[in-house]
Parts: sequence; structure tokens; C-alpha cells
Amino acid sequence: MHRPRPFFLDLFAIRLPIGGVVSILHRASGAFLALLIPLLLYGLMLSLRSPEDFARLRAFVDSGPVWLISLGLLWALLHHLFAGLRHLGFDIGWGEARQRARLTAKLALAAALLLVGLVALLDLLNSGATP
Amino acid sequence: MRRVGGSHRGLDMWLMQRASAVYMALFLPFFLVCALAAGPLDYAAWHGLFASPAMKVATFLFVAAMLAHAWIGLREIFIDYLHCARCTLLRLALYFAFAVLYLGCLVWTVDILWNVR
Repeated sequence: MHRPRPFFLDLFAIRLPIGGVVSILHRASGAFLALLIPLLLYGLMLSLRSPEDFARLRAFVDSGPVWLISLGLLWALLHHLFAGLRHLGFDIGWGEARQRARLTAKLALAAALLLVGLVALLDLLNSGATP
Repeated sequence: MRRVGGSHRGLDMWLMQRASAVYMALFLPFFLVCALAAGPLDYAAWHGLFASPAMKVATFLFVAAMLAHAWIGLREIFIDYLHCARCTLLRLALYFAFAVLYLGCLVWTVDILWNVR
């Protein structure tokens, strides 16, 4: 007997499960970081070449839009790191049960966001204290 | 000659991806502690951080692990999204282009780090 498969395409109700969100962000942040490697090495070169270039780089990063992009970059790194640690756990069989996998997905997502918020706050306070 | 065609290389890359991830996950906190211990990061402190040969080597290995990790990760993405009939050549071209770019980055990293004196 042929039965039609269940059909559900309410785009406002369909949500990726939390593990899926963390997973696609793991991929997106990884691709973002991979493409930025040459730029990051250029930054490392400038920061080590001379005090003048170090100061120029710092002024560049401290300017509004670049500061926000830098925070985005830090988020990408932290999210990729935490999601990656979660995967290393799966590799040794830790945290594969659904409840725990959901918990670690939430933790990875939250930890990266919280740390970026903390760094942004500290940076703001720091630049406010020593203008 | 099966390995030349790429057969069985998935496991090697899977393992390499884990090994590079573990090194980076160990290096990053270590580096963060070193940087925090160096005090307020002005040019002298930042420059001094990379002065020792040990730090140069550890940082170089980090960049090497990162480049290998990035190449394998991008390969994974290309395999997932580029699989039309004619995409094989495009994928190979992309592997080649990123291998050249990243090997260049590796040599550049040696230049950057060992110029810190």
C-alpha cells in the first residue's frame, strides 16, 4: 500500500535543531577563518616588523568597523574551537547521547558568544580608561 | 598504486584533522597565558614573546597545523558542494590553488618569525 510521506514545509515553524545550528556555524566559521589566513599572517608580520607598524595596526584594529570585524573573527575562532572540542568528544564516544549532545551544543554556542562579549566589554573599558 | 588515485586517503586526512586540532587546542591556551604573563602588550612585550627559539618553533608548528587543518576543511566543503559532472576539474583546481597559497603562507611564516631578533 502506498502511503504519502509526511509533508511539512511551514518555513516559519521549521527550525534546525541546536546541534545543526552549531554544526553549520562550525563550517561557516571554519571557511571564514581559512580564507582569512593570509590576511592574519599579514597582520602578524606588521605587528612584529617595527614599533611604527605595530602602532599602525593597533590604530587600524581600534577603528570602529574593523573593531567589529575583529570581534566577528574572534567569535569565529572561539566557536570553531568549542564546536571542534565537542567533535573530539564525539570521536572518543563522549557526549553522543541526545540530551548531552544538545547540552554541549548549547554550551559551545553560549561560551563563544559570552567570551566575545566579555572581551568587547574589557576592551571598551580599557580604551575608556586610557584614551 | 591505489593511493595515487586518492583511495584510502580519507582516513589519513580524518586523522590529520584531529591531530592538528589537538595541537592548536593545546597551543592557544598556552600562548594566551604567555601573552597575559608578558604584561601590557606594547610592541616590546609582543616582540619579546617571539624572541625565544622555542616560541618560534611552537608558533611555526601552530601555523603549519592551522594550514593543514584549513586545507583539509576546505577540501571537505568543496567535496560537499561541488559535485556536478564537470566539477571534478574545478575541485582539483581549487585544491591546487589553496595548496600553493598555503605552502606560500608556510614559508612566509618562517620569514616572519625568524626575523624577530
